[in-house]
Amino acid sequence: MLDLLWHGLVNVAQWKYLVPLFAGTFIGVIGGSLPGVTITMTVIVVLPFTYGLDPLAGLAAMTGVYVGGSTGGLIACCLLGIPGSPASIATTFDGFPMARNGEPGRAIWLGVWASVWGGLLGALFLVFLTGPLAAIALEFGPWEYFSLFVLAMAMVAGLTESSLLKGLISTAIGLLITVVGHDPIGSVPRFTFGSEFIGGGFPFLPVLIGIFAFAQIMTDLEKLNGPRGQAVEPLVGIRLERFSHLKVNLEIFKQPVLLGWATVVGLIIGILPAIGGSASSVMAYDQAKKFSKTPERFGKGHPEGIIASEASNNANVSGSLMTIMAFGIPGDAVTAVMLGAMTIHGIQSGPLFISQNPDLAYGIYAAYILAHPCMLLICVALMPLMLRVTSVRMAVLAPVVLVLCVVGAYALNNTMQSVYVLLLFGVVGYALVKLGFPLAPLILGLILGDQIEINLVRAIMTDANPWLFMTRPISGGLLAAAVLSVALAIWQHLRHQSRVAEEEPDF
Amino acid sequence: MTIGRDGITGLVLLAISLVLLVQSFQLPSLPIVPVGPGFYPAIVLSFMAAASALLVLQDLMKRAPVTAGAGDAPRRNYRLVVIAFAIVGCYVVLLPLVGFRLATVLFVGALQAALGRPRTSRQWAVLAAIALGTAAASYFIFERYLLVLLPRGAWTGF
Repeated sequence: MLDLLWHGLVNVAQWKYLVPLFAGTFIGVIGGSLPGVTITMTVIVVLPFTYGLDPLAGLAAMTGVYVGGSTGGLIACCLLGIPGSPASIATTFDGFPMARNGEPGRAIWLGVWASVWGGLLGALFLVFLTGPLAAIALEFGPWEYFSLFVLAMAMVAGLTESSLLKGLISTAIGLLITVVGHDPIGSVPRFTFGSEFIGGGFPFLPVLIGIFAFAQIMTDLEKLNGPRGQAVEPLVGIRLERFSHLKVNLEIFKQPVLLGWATVVGLIIGILPAIGGSASSVMAYDQAKKFSKTPERFGKGHPEGIIASEASNNANVSGSLMTIMAFGIPGDAVTAVMLGAMTIHGIQSGPLFISQNPDLAYGIYAAYILAHPCMLLICVALMPLMLRVTSVRMAVLAPVVLVLCVVGAYALNNTMQSVYVLLLFGVVGYALVKLGFPLAPLILGLILGDQIEINLVRAIMTDANPWLFMTRPISGGLLAAAVLSVALAIWQHLRHQSRVAEEEPDF
Repeated sequence: MTIGRDGITGLVLLAISLVLLVQSFQLPSLPIVPVGPGFYPAIVLSFMAAASALLVLQDLMKRAPVTAGAGDAPRRNYRLVVIAFAIVGCYVVLLPLVGFRLATVLFVGALQAALGRPRTSRQWAVLAAIALGTAAASYFIFERYLLVLLPRGAWTGF
């Protein structure tokens, strides 16, 4: 295994891979530091550039975006008091107070170094645990896969903040989009209404780009020309104070348990499908506060808060990569785009991915590991630029991002049809967000829809007994976990409602 | 008992699910496969119909919203969203007619102007530079370097 990793590192260290990795990391750091631009949007913007590249070069660029974006978000957290990307949300709680207390350099660099160490610790798990996880997945039959996908969707729908019902409906809409077009077994056209436009179904990436990018950009445009909604002055354009990198690192390594635990929390959240970096950062912050000897200092510029949040959101990336490589399920929206890019290059992710494509798999591990020193180098060299980039106007950003979205959709198969699908789902995505429907379950439904159908039909074709889904131990266990997940979400929702009812005066 | 936004959304989704559910039952079955092409869509649509019906019920049973505090919500600029969608729509229509390069210059310029109207000649020059720069940079990177063929215009021929 280690010789394969070494081979992967040497391979990715070649210019043809290192340049896309470095460029991806750079764009990720910049995209992450722009408030309102998520890592998903950044990876969508980078996607069309990867079409013409070698598969590993394209995936290295996307891995770089993911790692860079997870770190870049902390700059806006510390200077503006708003997260540059949702994955850095908990960094705001202590990063901004520390910066306002006259230590913006310490706040930013604590975050950058915690990201590096959290990410590299996560790499250990990525390298050594993905294989065993894939070996478990190899034991899965169509029943287990079907149940695993159901569990993934139940968890994501259950974790939605707004409403469990809307999360479930959103999942169903995602699944429904995948059944339009020819059925995967007999190629019978379904719900095409005789139209050639949707005869082949909706292509995955234009739907994904349309839903995510438009929903995000249009929601940001709503807030344009309005009040910023900030109670305190941002710190844009400031100079960082003099400080020692060694001291910052010692400060992090004085807390080995915190660093290790935040990494594990990020990793676990990353492995769970489609939950994402924001949950890992908030959960690690919460855990750090609970186990801290000085919980009262949290929220006032406490270094432990920054370390926990940033170590966990970078470790989250390794967890997401583990899930995509072992099970073929995206850990979040960023890996969903990566999965789409792999499909374009004819690569099938899943339990056989590592054994069938060892060069590519170890190349991705290597890209993930090397992205961290790249990110550090970019932060050291370009910090003054990044301190300014947070103030780029949306009026400039939005048109450029939309052009790249259109190119990304068009370049898939050089037809305008993909662009029309992009626009159609852009409108749908924005409308769903305005109606309070979460997009993460929809995306997961969209990604897993085909696989769920194929595994369901395959299971029935193998043995028509439907009880096998419940009586096979792993499949039954996964389905029980899915039911438990929904039941837990309902219980939490009811408990929350009763608390609100107690607090609210009855008029 | 009044119906709210969630209730109306639920009704629309319920109607769509039921129409498609009827269609899924009419799909032909295949002799070699034990379940037909409508089997899986019927499960998804039944689930969606049930969840939509529950959403309508939940909305009907909800207490009347408390109006106090509504003024604290941040003001939203929906006009700008409509304009932005319209400009994107025009871009998509223009792409196959005037080609990527010209359509992109017009799109980036128009959307920038709509989002933040330039007031001085310097601001207009910056706007034009960004529009031309975006079109030129994306054209050269994609067509020359990455060999991605971008749309040509039926009217302009380039």
